[in-house]
Amino acid sequence: MRRRPIVLTAMFAVSLLAGCGARKVKQPELPGQALVVLLPDPETGAVGRAVVSNAAGKADLVAARDSTVTIARRAPEPVKTLTAAEVKDLFGDVLAALPPPQRHFTLFFRFDSEELTEESRSLAPEIVRAVRERRVPDVLIVGHTDTAGPKVTNFDLGLRRANSVSALLRQAGLDAAAIDVVSHGETELLVPTADGIIEARNRRVEITVR
Amino acid sequence: MNLRHLVAAVALVSLAVPAFAEPSAAGRVKVVSGSAFIIRGSEVMAAELGQPVFESDRVRTGSDGRLGITLKDDTRFSLGPGSEVELSRFAYVPAQGRVALALNVIRGMAAYVSGRIAKLSPDAVKLETPGAIVGVRGTTLALSVSPR
Repeated sequence: MRRRPIVLTAMFAVSLLAGCGARKVKQPELPGQALVVLLPDPETGAVGRAVVSNAAGKADLVAARDSTVTIARRAPEPVKTLTAAEVKDLFGDVLAALPPPQRHFTLFFRFDSEELTEESRSLAPEIVRAVRERRVPDVLIVGHTDTAGPKVTNFDLGLRRANSVSALLRQAGLDAAAIDVVSHGETELLVPTADGIIEARNRRVEITVR
Repeated sequence: MNLRHLVAAVALVSLAVPAFAEPSAAGRVKVVSGSAFIIRGSEVMAAELGQPVFESDRVRTGSDGRLGITLKDDTRFSLGPGSEVELSRFAYVPAQGRVALALNVIRGMAAYVSGRIAKLSPDAVKLETPGAIVGVRGTTLALSVSPR
């Protein structure tokens, strides 16, 4: 019995803590309830936009860490902006499991040739490094041409360019199974031109390492 | 269309086919820890690094599991522990204007970073939760879903 005051004090302290907890953002608990949070891009910090909707209504998430809670047959709750600490507390774990972001490289070529310009050739080590940094690399190599010459020839030239880059990366020790080679010929110009125009910036191979 | 054009057209198509002919994977497992699974129809497979993921696959993590996947259009998504997500729709053939992505977050924690599909056609991306649909105009979202 002598202990009761202490127990009561402890219970009071717990209820205070619980009070603090109630103001904190909680994980959704009702069946099918969901918390949706808009976040800045992990690399660029850019904030997009998301619209959360169902038959009963919608919520617009427009600023960093805007959130809403949804459940079927009820309109999404009014938007509430979470703090960075709350986001880290709730989602730090799952955000840490995101794979590394993709990297893009563009290599340029001499006219009517699958020979790289000097400058582009010097980029090869950096591409190989980006590939080796990844535990499970995927490399997409897309060949492009300018509009000089017939479409079919350019499709073929784009393919030869992509293959020459592929060969370069394989020489550097990259596994062929990780590489996809495609040609888009003259169909995706970096600099839009009329047909039959020589344009150095369109003679390129685009590489995505993901 | 004269004969030369026809031949040229056929040559283009036949050259282009290898890129699309095989039923190609939508993406691959890039991060995995703890218990994590890929469910394809009635088959449940332990998820491994580098494993391909296809449209209609479901991915699931146990209470100690985490999973990160990168799709062919550079979309990335991840699952925290005790989570399940279905890749209910994936199409990425930009040359034919066919792009679509739907991720159904069934339960648990998920993060999403948009890729090329969201850039090319924002209306083509949908994240589904049990009670609402999220239309995404880029770039990053985190979701926590209580099981139904």
